[in-house]
Amino acid sequence: MARSLFLFDMTFWLYLAALVLYVTYMLAKRPAMSLAPAGHPVEYSDNDSGWAVQIGQVATIVTVFGWIVNSLALFTRAYERMQLSGTFAPWSNQFEAMSYVSWAIILGYVLLEFRYRIKAIGAFVVGIGFIAMGAASLLPYRYQTAEPLVPALNSYWIYIHVSVTLTSYAAFAMAGGLGVMYLLKERAERQGKVSRLYASFPDLETIDELGYKAIMVGFPLLAFGVILGAMWANYAWGGYWSWDPKETWSLIVWLIYGAYIHARMTHGWEGRRAAIYAVFGFLMVIFCFWGVNFLLSGLHAYA
Amino acid sequence: MNGQEHIAVEPDASQQSPGLGWNEIKTELVAFFASIKLAMFLFIVLAMTATIGTVIQQGERPETYIKEYGEEAYRWFLRLGFTDVYHTWWFTSLLGMLCVNSLTCFYKRFPGVWRSMKQDKVNVSLPFIKNLKQTTEFSIAASKETVAEGFVGLLAEKGYRVLAKNDPQEVTLYATKGIMGRVGAHMAHLSATVIVLGGLIGSYYGFQEFGVCLEGQTYHIPKGNFDLHVDKFWIDYHENGSVKSYNSTLTVLEQGQKMATKTITVNDPLVYKGIWFYQSSYGDSWDRIDVARVNVKEKDTDKLVGTVDLEWQKEAQLEKLGLKLLMTDFVADFGFNSTDKKVYSKTAEHANPAIRLAITEGPMQTSPWIFYHYPELFDIKGSKYAFELVGYQPKKFTGLQITKDPGVIIVWIGSTMIVVGITLSSFIYHRRLWAKVIPNENGVTVHLGGTTHKSQIDFNKEFRKLTERITKLST
Ligand code: HEM
Repeated sequence: MARSLFLFDMTFWLYLAALVLYVTYMLAKRPAMSLAPAGHPVEYSDNDSGWAVQIGQVATIVTVFGWIVNSLALFTRAYERMQLSGTFAPWSNQFEAMSYVSWAIILGYVLLEFRYRIKAIGAFVVGIGFIAMGAASLLPYRYQTAEPLVPALNSYWIYIHVSVTLTSYAAFAMAGGLGVMYLLKERAERQGKVSRLYASFPDLETIDELGYKAIMVGFPLLAFGVILGAMWANYAWGGYWSWDPKETWSLIVWLIYGAYIHARMTHGWEGRRAAIYAVFGFLMVIFCFWGVNFLLSGLHAYA
Repeated sequence: MNGQEHIAVEPDASQQSPGLGWNEIKTELVAFFASIKLAMFLFIVLAMTATIGTVIQQGERPETYIKEYGEEAYRWFLRLGFTDVYHTWWFTSLLGMLCVNSLTCFYKRFPGVWRSMKQDKVNVSLPFIKNLKQTTEFSIAASKETVAEGFVGLLAEKGYRVLAKNDPQEVTLYATKGIMGRVGAHMAHLSATVIVLGGLIGSYYGFQEFGVCLEGQTYHIPKGNFDLHVDKFWIDYHENGSVKSYNSTLTVLEQGQKMATKTITVNDPLVYKGIWFYQSSYGDSWDRIDVARVNVKEKDTDKLVGTVDLEWQKEAQLEKLGLKLLMTDFVADFGFNSTDKKVYSKTAEHANPAIRLAITEGPMQTSPWIFYHYPELFDIKGSKYAFELVGYQPKKFTGLQITKDPGVIIVWIGSTMIVVGITLSSFIYHRRLWAKVIPNENGVTVHLGGTTHKSQIDFNKEFRKLTERITKLST
C-alpha cells in the first residue's frame, strides 16, 4: 500500500511543478513573437527567444515524467489490489478514480501538445489535472487505501465501465479548462488589454475549436460508459436502467453535452457562449462525480 | 455555425405557393419537429427534470415524504408525480418528443446526405468556389491536363473521392471525404427511438419478480414452466472479514429432470429459457430457524434443570423431566393480528423473535409463545417449569430476482447504434473541395475552395498542405 501511496504523492508534486513551469512559461513568453499580420493564421512554433523555450521544454518534460509516475502509481496500486483481493482495477474507489482521471487528463494534454504544439494550454489543463490529484490526496486516509471490493463491484465490468466513464470526465475537464482560458482571453481582448500573458494564448478560434473537439471526444465516451453501466446493471442487478442517482446524473451530463453539440450547429453558439457552457458542463461533471457520491444516496453510493 | 457551409441553398419550393393545404401543414410540422432548437429544448428540459428524482427519493411510502417534506408538499408531489418522476405522463412525453424530433430530423436531412453519397455536384461556377470558406488561387507553369491529373492523384492518395470534368477551356474537380461522419450522426438519431422501443417491449412483455428462497426447497416458476431447486446458499469472506461474495447453487428441474445447475453470485446470474436469476439479496429468514436453544427451569426453585437444542419441527424428549418439546413456529418480529387471531412477523428484522413450543408434560399439553427478549412474560399455568429461549440459529434465505426482458436485445442494438454513430460523427468530418484549373498565358491558374462540416483547424492545416503540394506539382 505504502508504495503506491508514495508514487501518488510524487505524482502530485510533479504535477505541481509542471503547473508552475507552464505558468512561468506563459509569463516569460514574448508577446511580439506570436502576433501575426491580420487574417493570417499563426503557426505556434516555439521560436521565442529568451527563457520561454527552455522553460517550455522543461515543463513538457516534467509533465511527461509526472504522467509516467502517475502510470506507475496506478500499476503499483493494481498490483497491490491483485495481492489483496484478486481484482486489479486501480479505479475502484474515489481516490483511485481521481488519480486515474488526472492520469487521463494529463495524457490528453500531452497528446494535444504534441499534435498542436500549443504550450500555454498546459497552465489550464495541467492545472485541472493537478487539482484532481490534489483533491484525491486530500481525501482521508481510509479512502486512499485499497479495501477489497464489495461483492456488487467485484466484476470484470468495473474495468471497462469505470475507466471509460472516467476518461470521458477527463475529456470534459479538458474542455472546461479550455473554456476558462477562452473566457479570460476573450475578456482581455474585449477590454483592449494586450498583456504579455494573453498574447501567449492561442487565438480564440483555436481555443474554441479545441474545446469543441474535447467535448466531441467526451461525448461518445460517456455514451459508451453509460451503456456499459447499463449492461453491467443488467447483468448484476437484473435491470439495465433503474434511475439510480448516479446513472441518472451521468445521463443528465450527457444530455447537457448533447444540447451543446447541437447548439453549435445553430448560429451564435460558439465562442463565448460555448465556453461558458463548457465550464458549466464541467461543473455538472464534477457534481456527477463527487456530489452524487457524497450528497445523494443510491446503488452507486459505495463507489 | 461550426460546420456552417457556405453553399448557396436552392430556394424552397414549398414557399412559393401560399395556402393552407395538407402540404403546408406537413411542411410546418416537419420544420417544427426537425428543428435543432426543439432538440436543444428537449435535451435541457429532460436534463433538468431528471434531476428531480435524484433529489427526492422515488417510490417511498407516503409517511416518508410527509415526515421529510410535510403534508402540503407531499400533496404537490403527488399532483406533479414527483414521487415517481420517470414514469409520469409528462416525462415520458418528453422522451417521446425527443424520438419524434430525431426521427423527423432524420427524415428531413438524411436524404440529402444520401444524395451526396450517391451523386455529387461537380459542375460548379467560379464564384461558387470563391465563396467557399477556404479559398486560394495560384498559378502553375504546366498544362491543364498535367495539373489536373497530378491533383487527382494527390487527392486520391489523401483518401478523397474525386470527380473531374474536362471541358475545353477548364477542368473542374470535386473531391469529398468523410461522409460517414454525417451518416453516423443520423445513425445516432435513429438510435434513440430504437432504445425507447426496446424499453417499451420490455415493459409490456417482460416481468420482474423477487423470490425469497430457502435452501433445500424447490420452487415452481410458472412463467417459465419449470422448477428451481435451491441446493445451497453461502457467503464467502475476505481475510479481513469483509464479505467477498454471496453464492447460491441453483438447479433447474423440468418434470423432475435436472436440466442445469449453476452457482450464481452477485455478478453472475443463471439464465434459463430467457429467464434470468440474480443473486440479489440474502438474509435471515423471518419465519423459520434451524435450531433453538431452550433452557428449562424449575418454577419453584428457579434452578436450571435442563438445556435442549430443538431442531425445526422435530420433537425432543426430556425423559428425566417427563417433557416432550416441539418447536412449531418462529417469528422474527412478533406481531398479533387481533381480527383473525394470527401471529405474524411485523418486519423481516429480528426485533422481537419468538418461538412457539408444543409442550407435552405428562397429560398436559400447551403451546405457548416464548420470547427471546422477554423471558418472564408469560407464566405457563399448571406446569412445573419455565422455558427460556436463550439463542437460536436463523435459517438464511437467498433473495433471487427473477427477470425476463425480451426488449433488452433491442436496447443493445440501439445502444450500439448510438455509440458507433456518435463515434463516427466525432472523429470523421465531412470535407468537400472544388477546384477549377483554367489555362492562362504561361500555364494554368488553379482556383481551389473547400468547406468542412466541422473541425476547422484540422481542415485549415490540411488545406494549406494540399495547396503547398499542388504548387510543387509543376516541378
Ligand atoms: C436523441 C439523441 C441525439 C443524439 C445522440 C444526437 C447525436 C448527434 C450527433 C453526434 C451529431 C453530430 C454532431 C456533429 O457532427 O458535430 C448530430 C448531428 C445533428 N443532430 Fe443530433 N442527436 C440527437 C438528437 C437530435 C434531435 C432530436 C435533433 C432534431 C433536430 C437533432 C438534429 C441534428 C442535426 C440537424 C445534426 C446535423 C446532421 C448533419 O450533419 O447532417 N439531433 N446529432
